[in-house]
Amino acid sequence: MKYFYLSVLLFMLASSAFAQTRTVRGRVQDEKGLPVPGATVTVKNSPGVGAISTETGTFTLNVPSNADSLVVTVIGYNRQAVAVADNVQISLEVAEGATLEQVVVIGYGTQRKGDLTAPITTVNTENMMKRTTSSPMDALQGSVPGVQIVGNGAPGSPPSVRVRGVGSFNNEAPLYVVDGMFVNDITFLNPADIADMSILKDASGAAIYGVRAANGVVLITTKKGKLNMKTRVTYNGYVGMQVPVNMLKMANGQQYTKFSLERRTTQDSNTVRLSSERFGGSGLNPTTSTDWYDELLKKQALITNHGIDLQGGSDKVTWSVGLNYTYQDGIQESKNSFERYNARFQLEARAFPWLKVGLTTYIVNSRTFVPNSEAFSDAYSATPLFPVYDEQNVNAFPEKFAAAAVIGREDANPVANAFYNYNRLKDFQVLPTLYAEASFWKDRLTFRSQINQLYASSLRSQYSPERNLGPGTSVTASNLRSTQERTTNYILDNLLTYRDGAGKHHWSLLLGQSTREERWRQTWVSADNVPAAEEFWYAGAQGARNANGYSEDGIRNAGLSFFTRGTYDYDNKYLLTATFRADGSSKYQTKWGYFPSVGLGWVVTGEDFMKGQHIFDFLKLRGSWGKLGNDGVNANAGYAIVSTGSANSAIFGSTADANGLYVPGYTVNRFFANVTWEVVTEWDGGIDFEVLGRRLKGSVDYYHRTTSNAAFDKPFGYTYGSVYGNWAEMVNSGIDLQLNWNDRIGDLNYSIGGNLSTLKNEVTDLGSLPSLMSGVFPYVAEFPNKIEVGQPLRYFYGYEMIGVYQTDDEIAKDPVASSYNATALSKIRPGFLKYKDQDGNGVLDNNDRVNIGNYLPKITYGFNVALDYKKFDFSIAFQGSGGNKILNLNRGKLYKASNSLNVDEAFANGFWTGPGSTNSYPSANAIADGWFKVGNSFFVENGSYLRIQNIQLGYTFNVGKESAQSTIRVFATADRPFIFTKYNGFTPEVSGWGYDMNVYPISATYSLGVRAAF
Amino acid sequence: MKRYKQIAVLVTAITLLSACSKFLDRPLENKQQVTAIDYSNLSLMYQPVSGVYRTAASGTFAKWISVAIRSVRGDEIETGNDDAGQIAIHNFQNNVTVKSYWGINDMWISLYGVVLAANSALAELDEFGKNIPSGDAASQKLLEQYRAEVRFFRALGHYWAARYWGDVPVLGMESNDPNALSNSTKSSVDDVRLHVMEEMDFCIANLEDARPNQATHMGGVTKYTALMLKAKAAMDLAGNNNGSPYWDVVLDCTNQIFSSNKFNLFPDYYQLWKKPGKLSNEAILEFQYSDFGNETGDIVTSGGANELWGNFFLFQGPDNTYGMPISGSGWMVPSQKAVDFLTARNDTLRKRTTILLCGVNGQPGTTAFTPDGDPVSGNAGLKKYFNGKAYYPKSQMTPGRVDYYGANNNIRVFRYAEALLMNAEAKVRKGQNGDVPFNLVRVRAKLNPIAGVTLQQVLDERRAELICEWWGERFNDLLRTGQAAIVLPGFTTGQSEYLPIPQEQEDRNSNLKN
Repeated sequence: MKYFYLSVLLFMLASSAFAQTRTVRGRVQDEKGLPVPGATVTVKNSPGVGAISTETGTFTLNVPSNADSLVVTVIGYNRQAVAVADNVQISLEVAEGATLEQVVVIGYGTQRKGDLTAPITTVNTENMMKRTTSSPMDALQGSVPGVQIVGNGAPGSPPSVRVRGVGSFNNEAPLYVVDGMFVNDITFLNPADIADMSILKDASGAAIYGVRAANGVVLITTKKGKLNMKTRVTYNGYVGMQVPVNMLKMANGQQYTKFSLERRTTQDSNTVRLSSERFGGSGLNPTTSTDWYDELLKKQALITNHGIDLQGGSDKVTWSVGLNYTYQDGIQESKNSFERYNARFQLEARAFPWLKVGLTTYIVNSRTFVPNSEAFSDAYSATPLFPVYDEQNVNAFPEKFAAAAVIGREDANPVANAFYNYNRLKDFQVLPTLYAEASFWKDRLTFRSQINQLYASSLRSQYSPERNLGPGTSVTASNLRSTQERTTNYILDNLLTYRDGAGKHHWSLLLGQSTREERWRQTWVSADNVPAAEEFWYAGAQGARNANGYSEDGIRNAGLSFFTRGTYDYDNKYLLTATFRADGSSKYQTKWGYFPSVGLGWVVTGEDFMKGQHIFDFLKLRGSWGKLGNDGVNANAGYAIVSTGSANSAIFGSTADANGLYVPGYTVNRFFANVTWEVVTEWDGGIDFEVLGRRLKGSVDYYHRTTSNAAFDKPFGYTYGSVYGNWAEMVNSGIDLQLNWNDRIGDLNYSIGGNLSTLKNEVTDLGSLPSLMSGVFPYVAEFPNKIEVGQPLRYFYGYEMIGVYQTDDEIAKDPVASSYNATALSKIRPGFLKYKDQDGNGVLDNNDRVNIGNYLPKITYGFNVALDYKKFDFSIAFQGSGGNKILNLNRGKLYKASNSLNVDEAFANGFWTGPGSTNSYPSANAIADGWFKVGNSFFVENGSYLRIQNIQLGYTFNVGKESAQSTIRVFATADRPFIFTKYNGFTPEVSGWGYDMNVYPISATYSLGVRAAF
Repeated sequence: MKRYKQIAVLVTAITLLSACSKFLDRPLENKQQVTAIDYSNLSLMYQPVSGVYRTAASGTFAKWISVAIRSVRGDEIETGNDDAGQIAIHNFQNNVTVKSYWGINDMWISLYGVVLAANSALAELDEFGKNIPSGDAASQKLLEQYRAEVRFFRALGHYWAARYWGDVPVLGMESNDPNALSNSTKSSVDDVRLHVMEEMDFCIANLEDARPNQATHMGGVTKYTALMLKAKAAMDLAGNNNGSPYWDVVLDCTNQIFSSNKFNLFPDYYQLWKKPGKLSNEAILEFQYSDFGNETGDIVTSGGANELWGNFFLFQGPDNTYGMPISGSGWMVPSQKAVDFLTARNDTLRKRTTILLCGVNGQPGTTAFTPDGDPVSGNAGLKKYFNGKAYYPKSQMTPGRVDYYGANNNIRVFRYAEALLMNAEAKVRKGQNGDVPFNLVRVRAKLNPIAGVTLQQVLDERRAELICEWWGERFNDLLRTGQAAIVLPGFTTGQSEYLPIPQEQEDRNSNLKN
């Protein structure tokens, strides 16, 4: 299939012939010589031929040879006509009373950018399209200040997105609003379907979405046709190869043998001997050296995307259609991939001069093979002393995988674990939107009623085949688990907008009401001994259904909201935005939450006293305050819950002669609290400026977000049960900075941009609890993180490693070591780690466990350079993060190891071997001892990195006849080719709480693509 | 203008329609409210009681980690794994490795989980009680019996908690309120034991006078189960003091069990631990499980919900390359000391029953056969033995079953044999002749009777009879007889008797620090 697409693409390129036209290149600029992007350039008297100016104001247009002049139009400037020449420079004049700036999509409406009082980032969709990612949010990595995106290497899995830190125990993902519909994730969207994307970060922008705005809001508008436009067809496609990067080097067979023998256990020497006997070598010198990561990763994996976009409009109807196909293979050597078909239909009709009606439908069909990420963790610890396959393993079937048991070990065969995993998720989603918009009173008053729906259904088939990993072990029966899910959500919005002005006063008022329901239902069944052929994957009808092998669950939440927004400005100089939203939710006992916000702006450059100065071309001061709600909080019962059924019934009469029977029983969980809204109160102060002839533009914001009534499961003694309630408070604060420089040198246009965000996270209240520990399974207790007042959320908690004991003398003189050795049966010896006695009491105890690092980065940044020379364009983007720590759980697995696990090469080469050899690694012998097996800073590493995120080189040219000409851009892209990090792991991009285990590595992608517009 | 009016009406209508009043008031999906229970239907009254039995049997008292911690403090069982926490407990370390060890916290939660479940069930029984008509003496009697069953398990939780931690809180029904629970305070270990004895007096008065396998709910707790627990609490209180009045209590309770003539020892000590010995006439308390005779499908094991590892038998099963069904994690390995003890006293039957071999000296690639003919291989960890009291032969398992080693077997908790040995000990300590109960146990184990048995002989017999069982009797016996510091390496008197209160529990309730 993919080759078919490729050949169509090549055919299209080849069949485009050059015709009798003349190529005109030019640049659109304003009175000050600054580029004007987005201007429409058309040929006079042939409106079908045209182009739109780029970011740097340039355009390239193939005009009929008989054309004599071009017409340039753009909002805010006077229309202008110029004579055709090879290289034209068009200077536009500002239209009287027009606004210079773009219109920004804000919640339930739009606003002129100049009038914004909120730091709203409008995503550059052009730059977004440069990235070869299957999900849109991945394409934004490093480009939006205040938005941290942590990628996930598994195909089709969404990145984790944090806007201005973490302000909740419940969810950190922002709210996505796609054409008015609330969704939790936008991996289903095709990036090419996005016309506008705005990110609302502060209260003044987001509070209008009070109900779910606490983690920020990402507003997405999909593409629409325009009235009276010639039908435009755009093709977008690329084909690329993903290649593993930053491969983690493990200790090879020889290195492994060396350190495992240093542990001096019978078991370890047995393993080495058995490996020699069975797989080659002699005595304690086995020759087997399996590089498990090399075996587990493909050399390359395909990624491709093809999309066609049509837009058009008559005098009463606009329409657009988008079709897209995406395929991403996974780099794991197993069945893992992501395939998605998207279709979008949009139609809007002007039924009466005062009434518009429209329908947009978004259809997504996707198929994901979910990989077994655990195999990556298995590959870290598996000894290199056994091979992937073993023909002597007589019992093994269907594949002759080698079993570590024959060399006396319990290691999993990582390749076998990946191979026997079959987890397919088929997902189908439809998002229809229907709306009507009526305008009255010369368009001052508009009323819009819109219903958005989301229907999604999915089928997950997990099939584990009948198999035997041998030797000697019995057969594992096949098992099928089918899970069906169904989601039906809707939102009904009614909006009344009034916009008016008098003299220099302008104002607007929005009144709105919204009704929502979210319903989700899941059913799963499971059966053993189901045949391998997919045609027979029906649990129950085939195989033996487990009596407990089915379950159903569901949720149903309802919400009701009333909201209003007023804006006022005087002479576009003094700006005011105020919003208020009241939200009711069925999830809480305190149903209603109220979310006000106020934003103020002052365009300083609009003042008379600024007229004479030449530093600032534009300067605006902004400030905002508001409250935001988070309905990602779990729905709460607020009553005692009864559990019945066999899981709560005891067996009686299980005797020698009888199997026993259930006597019906029930249990009651009486621990509950009433739950109310979790609220974020946010302050934001910012400056927008343009200096040096508008060549340097920038903005700086300071934010301070306090989450109060933060809800979490408060544990109490005696039980794993907990009471969910609003117990905590935390603060996130920091600075978002963005700078852009745009200029040209002769024909070379260039821009340099950068952004940077800082984050300080602090827990300020935990109710009655002094602290709260958590972690990740199965290392919750061994490598805990701690939540404590005055500290950042979930810091790694443990001893601070300060070196390695070098000599017996040093141990004898050290109070901690000598007091430990006085009683312990297993003593501290040279080569053991040395921990800091924080309180100096001479004993290593609970008081010596401290904050040894936090997973939240203190700083995230991105910068990019774009060049544009004649028909060529080039861009490079970097992104990185700093100040975050990673708990290397791959190494941490040594904690529970009962025999020597493999370690990475840096570790194997770093072992302490004698006095003075190293002060940062333990001896091979020490890692087997209980003294090493405590959560300590040896396992905590610096997670900072800098990555080249994207490099792209493009070439644009025009082909075709006069009547049907097209602009074609071909481009070569390298995504994520290089990373600079000190972290001893595959990737420093670790989502969740910073524990590196089972992390699917991120790959580089090299691709070629074409974009053609007709 | 008319059009505007129409629009206004439409707007109002839409707004009102989408804002109907009940819209936000709905219970959670799939979470039944307690108010849905029909308390006037007295036929449901046993249901909360059955819920407590299930809580006690699955994922709590017999959960693997609790069994491991109890066992490794004695000298009969070694961890069989490299877990730093278990090894530290085995070595009587008293540092943060133990205090912050997840396992002791889990064990605390397992024991108190039953206590909390019992308190919750008592509140349910109160609701049923309110609906019993005043003249309905039969229902009132049942209600008291059900309360006694629930209170037995609550007391058992407290009894064991005090054994492992010493001073611990006693949680009554007030702890159904999380605030009260979070502020609970500790009682001294002796007070806890007195409380248990007091509770047992209520239970003895209200429970059925029947052998458990003859109870209405077959295998439920009866008067004799309560007598046994009371005797055990008294024995712990009496300690090594022969003059303690609590020995009278031990004697009285065990005499009642003995003279009821309801119990007898299961004749075959080897089969006692297997299918033929399930809920025999020797059983005073047994946790019951079932696979319902089906090779797959519904099954009840000692593991908690979705916790295969929690299965009592599985983690003690040998690390066997012959695979399921006789296979497990190979933990809880009988110690060489235990083997030598049985060998030295020529205790052939008990040794044959309890000490099973993993291949030849545990060497990988070698094979040994159990008395029932199941092959067991050596293993990578070179562990020589596995616990035969948790061994369930393949031939006795439900035909076709390959998973859940030990499926369909019960867990023996209190046995008549122990009651007889306690009776003998009390008699000997009080200067009476203990030969009769003593020799019943001894003869069953195919050993020659002894006349004029001494205290040390009773204690040795007790060690041999209960060897490698899971309730920490060996450690407790060493403790109460003052032998622990002599026998156990690393044991320091005044420091090693009890586990530290888990750090997490202290963090959540600072009263536990005092």
